[in-house]
Amino acid sequence: MKNNLSMIYILAIITAIAALLLSITYNGTKDKIEEAYRQELIKALNVVLPEHDNHPDKEDINIDGKSVYIAKKGGKLVGVAFKSTSSKGYSGDIDILVGIDLNGKVYGVEILKHAETPGLGSKIETDSFKRSFKGLGKEDKIAVKKDGGVIDQFSGATISPRAVCEAVNNALKFYSEVVVKNPQLIGGVK
Amino acid sequence: MKLSVMFDGIWKNNGVFKQVLGTCPTLAVTTSVKNGLGMGLATTFVLICSNIVVSLIKNIVPSKVRIPVYIVVIASFVTIVDLMMNAYLHDLHKILGLFIPLIVVNCIILGRAEGFASKNGVADSLLDGIGIGLGFTLALSILGGVREILGNGSILGFNLFGSSFSPAIAMIMPPGAFIGLGFIMFVISYFEKRKRG
Amino acid sequence: MEYILLFISASIVNNFVLSRFLGICPFIGVSRKLDTAIGMSLAVIFVMGVAGIVTWIIQYAVLNPLNLGYLQTIIFILVIASLVQFVEMVIEKTSPDLYASLGIFLPLITTNCAVLGAAILNIQNGFSFLKMLIFTIGSAVGFAFALILFSGIRERIEYSDIPFYFRGLPITLITAGILSLAFMGFSGLVK
Repeated sequence: MKNNLSMIYILAIITAIAALLLSITYNGTKDKIEEAYRQELIKALNVVLPEHDNHPDKEDINIDGKSVYIAKKGGKLVGVAFKSTSSKGYSGDIDILVGIDLNGKVYGVEILKHAETPGLGSKIETDSFKRSFKGLGKEDKIAVKKDGGVIDQFSGATISPRAVCEAVNNALKFYSEVVVKNPQLIGGVK
Repeated sequence: MKLSVMFDGIWKNNGVFKQVLGTCPTLAVTTSVKNGLGMGLATTFVLICSNIVVSLIKNIVPSKVRIPVYIVVIASFVTIVDLMMNAYLHDLHKILGLFIPLIVVNCIILGRAEGFASKNGVADSLLDGIGIGLGFTLALSILGGVREILGNGSILGFNLFGSSFSPAIAMIMPPGAFIGLGFIMFVISYFEKRKRG
Repeated sequence: MEYILLFISASIVNNFVLSRFLGICPFIGVSRKLDTAIGMSLAVIFVMGVAGIVTWIIQYAVLNPLNLGYLQTIIFILVIASLVQFVEMVIEKTSPDLYASLGIFLPLITTNCAVLGAAILNIQNGFSFLKMLIFTIGSAVGFAFALILFSGIRERIEYSDIPFYFRGLPITLITAGILSLAFMGFSGLVK
């Protein structure tokens, strides 16, 4: 009995010391970690949104459960950005951030998360691919050329670009059906 | 302090090539030299810390409960590494992802705790940690190098062959990991068996 | 329907061993004989299943509400270690033969990255309880599938004429690589 007690006693003490150590480390790194994630988001927002002078990451509004980041210049709305997803990637979900200007056209696209084939599908991360979405709106046929659209696919990797097209189309749909009608934005949106 | 303890760990007793332990991270993160290096060093840090602590407490821990205690010690250092990397090496943390917390089940670390640190002094345990850790890092870097050169035509991000090089993409993907490690083992086996005559 | 796809994705398309590299140590260590492979597979399926459930509950009932997310690694691995200890005792009492043939690999289920990996992935993917169950069982079945398949192949290799320097680990790994290549063919199966 004494043996069992001392076993549990030691395990409990060691676990308690561990928990304490970890709690200290956690509190020490918590802010830096949050900051790192924030910087990631800011970097992406700067890529997809038109020139702005506010902090879109801090000015987001919740529309239908989605965080919509607002970009302003001189106090006036210049664009919005939000995340969109396609589950039709070659190796799973592809998450993107789409920036849309006041004309309802895509200003920029940034790939946030993907697991596509390195060297093949991962080419969706190249600047030239991402730029090919700029200026497209919901009336344009946003699909890979194979499907009759205007986006170049890469030889040997159609599925990844196709998934990104789906995500962009979802984003434009969300914009025109939900965001535009949102009372908080009616002021500066066509 | 026996320096040989450290040198043994680097090659003669190499965790991956000789003991065939810690194969999960070895295969998973070696898509490039940088990733292999990063994982190797993170694991080395945990290994050194846990070896030292286990050696320090080896006399107070009752034998029957030693494995759970070692696990708590290792898991703590893994969590510390996880938090620090997320804060200061955010991009590498994103790439290594799931395999950072999985350092806790890297058989090499528990193996050294049970097989060495629990039976030796702190100084030797420290050296053993450094040696085995460096050996592990070396193994990961070599496999990372093979896969990166063949699968991406680069080393540490520097393109070696110019844009007309068509890399063997399979090397960066799962089959490449198995086959890459298999061939490295073959080369090692060749030289060892030849030496034995 | 979504659940069937999740199961297929977890067990075959994103096979734990051949594409995610989780569970390699037992994969190489236990796959020499078919019956040990089967015994190990069943033990792993059980441990993964129960561990998945318990860790999921702990994460959402204790860790998240109390903002103790950073204790995930420690708590999860302790849960797994206890479970394996328990399974060990049960097997020792009910099937001493299996216990003897599994040997050191039974306690090593604790360090099987597949078990901890699945527990963490469940949380990372934000699965509901039902999805967690399907993902965990699917992944465990996938592990078993790969393990049993591989041990069948290895038994055949024993009778083949392997070049001297390739014998042992080299040919095992290269074979695993070819198997992994074959499994890559399942990509894009789940749309």
